[in-house]
Amino acid sequence: MSILLETKDLELAYGAFHAVNGVNLKVEAGTIHTIIGPNGAGKTSLFHCLTGERQATAGAIHFDGNNLMRKPAHGRVGLGMARSFQLTSLFQNLSVRENLRLAAQGRDGARALNFWRRVDSKREHLEMADQVLERLQLTARADTLAGELSHGQQRVLEVGMSICSKPKLLMLDEPTSGMGIDDIPIMTQLISDLGRDHTVLLIEPRPDPGGRHAGIRARR
Amino acid sequence: MSEKNPLPFAKTQSKAMLLWVLAVLIGLPLILPSATLATEILIFAMAALACNLLLGYTGLLSFGQGIFFGAGAYCAALLMIHLQLGLFTALLGAAIAGGFLALLVGALAIRRTGIYFVMLTLAFSQMAYFVAYTLSDWTGGDNGLLSVPRPEIRVGDTVLLSLADARAFYGFVAVLFLLIFIGARRVIASPFGSTLMAIRENETRASAIGYDTRHFKILVFVLSGAVTGIAGALYAMLLHFVPLSNIDLAMSENILIMTIVGGTGSLFGSLLGAGSIVLLGDFLSDLWPRWLMLLGVILILVVIFMRGGLWGGLASLFEKVRGSRKTASVAKEEGL
Repeated sequence: MSILLETKDLELAYGAFHAVNGVNLKVEAGTIHTIIGPNGAGKTSLFHCLTGERQATAGAIHFDGNNLMRKPAHGRVGLGMARSFQLTSLFQNLSVRENLRLAAQGRDGARALNFWRRVDSKREHLEMADQVLERLQLTARADTLAGELSHGQQRVLEVGMSICSKPKLLMLDEPTSGMGIDDIPIMTQLISDLGRDHTVLLIEPRPDPGGRHAGIRARR
Repeated sequence: MSEKNPLPFAKTQSKAMLLWVLAVLIGLPLILPSATLATEILIFAMAALACNLLLGYTGLLSFGQGIFFGAGAYCAALLMIHLQLGLFTALLGAAIAGGFLALLVGALAIRRTGIYFVMLTLAFSQMAYFVAYTLSDWTGGDNGLLSVPRPEIRVGDTVLLSLADARAFYGFVAVLFLLIFIGARRVIASPFGSTLMAIRENETRASAIGYDTRHFKILVFVLSGAVTGIAGALYAMLLHFVPLSNIDLAMSENILIMTIVGGTGSLFGSLLGAGSIVLLGDFLSDLWPRWLMLLGVILILVVIFMRGGLWGGLASLFEKVRGSRKTASVAKEEGL
């Protein structure tokens, strides 16, 4: 199996404090991996380095043959990386379908700057949005504003938006966080479903019986 | 800035909205006492519409609109006075001047967000005012730039239409306004426009799904600046004069107030906002020299009681009327 994502001695330091300290990861294509560790262990900081939200201060990130160290967050989407957020981060006042369509359009990068074509002239993004709607079982709520969905549905949409850009690697930051006990099976089912055609890297505070784990220890 | 709901018929009845605009354009000079007043409304509606692209659709509160308005006015006036350029080249020059300055201001200001962004645009606005004040050889300084011509529409050497008559000039401005209105709607309905709204709603997420949000913000700044520049140029032609107040901070405020009063969720709102503020100013200034105080009161009332501005107020009123009519007809069908 080929290695899709690899980090070498990755570091994120805030002054003297090392939020991420010497992380070496290898993620094979086609697998589901969970990064586990208690609060404060640096899971989300690691995630930020991988997604580009923060610039890692030392080390190396290789993704699918590209060096990611200096790539900004938006530049990593075109390479095939997508992420979801721990705190639901949607376009609240736009419809569910529009949320997904925008996520699909995001892969166009600078081509989305075209201000003279009509949105619907790009059928593929709308089609992608409709496909994902179906996969998330949200078709009936396509025209609802994202902010009006139930919390569980918002979490599902949150994860769903990240697959609209047809990523090679899906990175999910605590997808079940804040979900009611009844909703969690829906999410775990969705993730294992997504795992069939994506490489998935997720963060959870607790181990999940499904996937492989890489533990991070909390530092004192 | 992002607490607005998309209004119920902002999208579905877009054809009808265009008819409304046409009706307003035709109706304005018929209802109003003078064509000059009607022209002034359309010019400020243009500026408010451009401001709305930033404020309503991208969530950027810019105090820089007066820079672009003033720059357009000065640029067109100077081109016409010193180089004897025609109508369309002068307008093009104004658009380029507005767009170029917007590129500069935008590119620097968007390096910060929120309150710091607003302060930066404010600082640029102050700077532009003093630049215009200092360059009095060109701008006339405090006295303003006098005897600005209003060229006729001509092709080659044949004069097609003189714009000296106030009604002819109104017609010209109305056609330009319609074109800009249609263009702006097109921009909003484009991939670019949809991304602007995504940035307004949640910039972090927009960036995470692949958009370089800086590029989008700069481009919308340039578009907005260009349209504002054209509005400034038309205003100079209307007055035959460019007062220093055109590039004053008060101009930026004025344009912002019109945009907010009209409603930031819709382009038609900008027309409403500009219309009501210009008319109120015209009406109240005859009654009381301190009329700006009343304007303040009106602004406060609209912001507190009409979320979504005049347009939002009208839209919800319309919905209510339609809703009550619907329930009435349902009640009838059920034999109640």
